[in-house]
Amino acid sequence: MKREEGRAIPLKIGRKTWIALIGAVILLVFPLFIRSPTFLQFMILILWYAYLTTSWNLVGGFAGVLPLGHAAFAGIGAYISSVLFIHYGLTPWVGMFAGAFLAAIVGVIIGTPTFKLRGAYFALATIAICEALRVILENTQKFLGFDINGARGILLPLKGHSPINYQFLDKRYFYYVILVMLAIIFYITYRIARSKLGYYLMAGGEEKEAAEALGINVAKCKLIAMAISTFFTALGGTFYMQLVHYIYPRGIVSLDLSFEIAFIAIIGGRGTLLGPIVGAVLLVPAAELTRTYLGGSYEGVHLMLYGAVLVAVMVFKPRGLMEPLEAFYRWALGKFSLQPLMQTDRGE
Amino acid sequence: MDIILATIINGILMGGVYGLTAMGLTLIFGVMKVINFAHGSFLMAAMFVTYYLFQLTGIGPYLGLFIIVPLLFAFGYFTQQVLIRPVFKIERDVREPISVLMLTAGLWIFMDAFALALFGAFYKTIKTPYKGSVLHLGDVIVSVSRLYAFLTAVILAILLYLFLKKTRLGKAIRATGQDRDAARLMGINIDRIYNVAFGIGIAIVGVAGAVLMPFYYVHPVVGVVFDIRAFIIVVLGGLGSIPGALLGGIMIGLVESLGAQFMTATWTEGIIYAMFISVLFLKPEGLFGFKAEW
Amino acid sequence: MNLLELREISKSFGGLKAVANLDLTISQGEIVGMIGPNGAGKTTVFNLITGLHFPDRGDVHFNGEKTTRLKPYDLCLKGIGRTFQIVKPFGTKSVIRNVMVGAFCRVKTAQEAEEVAREVLDFTGLYPKRDMLAKSLTIADRKRLELARALATRPKLLLLDEVMAGLTPKETDDMISLVRKIRDQGITPFIIEHVMQAVMALSERVVLLHHGEKIMEGMPQEVASDERAIKAYLGEEYVVARG
Repeated sequence: MKREEGRAIPLKIGRKTWIALIGAVILLVFPLFIRSPTFLQFMILILWYAYLTTSWNLVGGFAGVLPLGHAAFAGIGAYISSVLFIHYGLTPWVGMFAGAFLAAIVGVIIGTPTFKLRGAYFALATIAICEALRVILENTQKFLGFDINGARGILLPLKGHSPINYQFLDKRYFYYVILVMLAIIFYITYRIARSKLGYYLMAGGEEKEAAEALGINVAKCKLIAMAISTFFTALGGTFYMQLVHYIYPRGIVSLDLSFEIAFIAIIGGRGTLLGPIVGAVLLVPAAELTRTYLGGSYEGVHLMLYGAVLVAVMVFKPRGLMEPLEAFYRWALGKFSLQPLMQTDRGE
Repeated sequence: MDIILATIINGILMGGVYGLTAMGLTLIFGVMKVINFAHGSFLMAAMFVTYYLFQLTGIGPYLGLFIIVPLLFAFGYFTQQVLIRPVFKIERDVREPISVLMLTAGLWIFMDAFALALFGAFYKTIKTPYKGSVLHLGDVIVSVSRLYAFLTAVILAILLYLFLKKTRLGKAIRATGQDRDAARLMGINIDRIYNVAFGIGIAIVGVAGAVLMPFYYVHPVVGVVFDIRAFIIVVLGGLGSIPGALLGGIMIGLVESLGAQFMTATWTEGIIYAMFISVLFLKPEGLFGFKAEW
Repeated sequence: MNLLELREISKSFGGLKAVANLDLTISQGEIVGMIGPNGAGKTTVFNLITGLHFPDRGDVHFNGEKTTRLKPYDLCLKGIGRTFQIVKPFGTKSVIRNVMVGAFCRVKTAQEAEEVAREVLDFTGLYPKRDMLAKSLTIADRKRLELARALATRPKLLLLDEVMAGLTPKETDDMISLVRKIRDQGITPFIIEHVMQAVMALSERVVLLHHGEKIMEGMPQEVASDERAIKAYLGEEYVVARG
C-alpha cells in the first residue's frame, strides 16, 4: 500500500512541531546577538525572498500555473505606498495596504483572461505584462499628478528613526517585520492547503473538467489565489522600499526578480508548504556568497548558480527538493534511531 | 518621403532577420510543444562562434556557415538528448510540461551568466569586406549586410518550408508534431526526431547569429532582446508556422523601425508588448491564420 | 414531476450534427440506459446535460428548472453528478483526498469532508484503499473512484458514462450491484453503456441513439431484439443477410 503524498506538508504534532518551535525561538532571538549589520541584512534578504516565494506559491504552486512576472506586483506595492507617503505624508503602514489592494485588483484583472491560456502561453503573457509595466513606468514622469520620475525612480525622503513612518535606523526592526510577515503568509498558506480552497485549487490544476463536474468553479478559485498572492507580494514590495529607500522600474519590476522568485519556489518544491522557504534558505545564501566572493572578478556568477541548480533540479528532481529532503530527514532519523518518544504522531 | 521609404525598407530587412531568429523557435515548438526560453542564449553562442571564427581564421560568416551550422546543430542535438529528453519523459503524462519550460529558463540564465563570467564587458563586431557598404536603390540607401541577411532569411524560410513539406524527414517531423503516438506507431523514432528537430532549430539560430554579425555587436546578453522578440514573433505568426515566423518578424521589424522615427525606443517596446498581449488574448493561433502546418 | 427533461435538443460541431432533435425524460428513481454505436452522440448528450456544451436548439430541464445554459459547477450544486468515459482521477493524490474534493461540494471544512469521504468510500467498497495514490489503482478501482467522487457531491441524478468498459465479468457484476445500491439510496442513475449484459440487467428503460437521433425507446428486451437496434450496431448488411 503506497503512502500518500501530501498536498501540503503537514506539521505533525510531536517531533516536527518541536523542531519548528525551537527554530522559531532561534529566529526570534538571534538578532539580539548579532552585531554585524551585513549579516543582518543577509538574513533579512533570505526572509524577504522566502516571503515572496511563499506568496508566489499560492498561484504558481497551488493553482498549478506558471506566473513569471510576479515582481510587477511588488513594484505596484512599492510605488503606491511611496507615492502616497511623499505626496500626502500617509504612513506606508497604511499606504502599503492601498498598494496591496490595488495589486489584488490588478491581479484579478490580469488573471481573468490569462488563466484561460495554456501553460507556455500563460507564462509568456505574465512575462509580457511585467515588461509592459516596466516600460510604462520608465516612460511616465507623472502619474495622476504624482511624480514618479520614469526611469530614474523614486527616492524615499528619509525621516531617520520614525517607526510611525515605517522607517528604522536599526536593521533589526526590519528583521522582525519581515519575520512577522513571513509567519503570516506561511500560516495563510497552511490554512488554505487544508481548506476547501486548497483542495479545489489542486483539483482544478490537475483535471479541470473533472473538477468542474464536481462543483468547482476553477476560474474563480484561481482568481482568489491570485488576489491573495498579489496582495501579499505587494506588501513585500513596500517592505523593500522602506528597507533600501530607493526604487526604480528596472530594479523592482524586473524579469530577473520574477524569475528568481519562480526558480526558488520551484527548486524548493512548488505546491508544498515549506518548499519555497527551503528554496530560499538554500539558494539565497549560496547566491549571495558567490556574488560576494566571486562577484568581483566574475559578474553575474550567482546567476550561473541559479541556472545550473535549476537545470539540475529539473533533470533529476522536477518536483523540487522537498521530497528528497523529507526522505533524507526520515533516513537521518532512522540512522540515529530516533524512535518517536511521542507516539502521539498523528497521521494527517 | 524618402525617409519613410528608407525606414520601411530597413524595417523589413531587419524584420527578416528577426523572423530568422524566430523560425528555429517556432519549429521547436511546433514539433515538441516546448517554448525554448534559452533561444536567445543559443543565438548569442552562435554569434560568439561567428566572431571567433572570423577573428582567428578570417573566414567570413557566410562562408563560415558550413562550419557554424553543423556546430550549432550538434549543440542543439546534444542539449535535447542529454538535458531535455529526461525531463520530457517524466512529464509525458502531464498536460502542461512546465518542468521543461523551467529547464530551458534555467539554461537561459546559466548560459548568459556563463558568457558574462567568461567574457565580461565584451562588445565587439566584425569587419567584413562589405561592412559599411551600401546599395543605392533610387534615393534610398540600403546597408548591404542587412540586405544579405534578409535574403538569407527568405531563402532559408523557403528551404525549410520545402524541407518540411516534401522530404521524408520533414514529413516525419511534421507527423511527430501532429500526433506523437500515431507517429510512433508508424515506426518513427520519436526520440531521434526530437533530437533532430531541436538540432535543426538551433542550427537555424546559428544561421541567424552568423548573418547578424556583420552589422551587429556581440556581447554576453545580446540574446535577451532577440529572445523576447522571438517569443512575440512566434505567437504573432502562429506557433509552428515557418512563414508565420518570417512575416511576424517583418511586422515587428516594421513597427520597430517606424516607431523609432516617431517616438522613444521604450515606447516602441511598449507597443510591441501591447500587440503581443492582444494577440495572446484575442487570436492566440496567430495573426495570419496559418493553419498548423503540421 | 420528471427529474430530467430534454426537449428537442440539437447540437452540431462544425458541419457535423452530433445530436438531432432529441426528446428524453427521466423520472426520479428509474434507471435509464442509453445505447447506440460509437459516435451516436451519447456522450454529447451527457455533455449537454452537464453544461460542458450548450445546445444549439432546445432546452434542458432538471428538477422543474430550466438549466440549459448553466455551467458544470452550478449544475453539480443543483444535483447533477457525472463520471467520464475516460476516467480523470487526481492521480498524484490519495483515494480519500480525491473523494474529499467531491465532498466539499456540500460541506465547508476538511473534517466534514473527510467524514463524508469515508462514508462514500465505505459504500463503494474502496475504504481499504483510501490511502493509495489514485494513479496506482486498477482500472476497475479507478472507475469506482470516479463514481465515489461523484457520489460525494450528493447528486440527485448521476450520469454514468460507460462505467463497465474494460471490466472483467466479475467486476462488471460488482459494478451492477453498486449501481443498484446507488438507486436504492434515492439517486437516479442514467447510464451510457456498451456492455449489453449490464444494460439488460440494470435498465428499466432503454433509449437507442444513432447518428444523434433517438431511434427508439422501450423495455430493454424490446429494444435489443428490434431490427433497428441491430441495424444500428451491426449495419444494414447484417440485417439483410439475416433475411
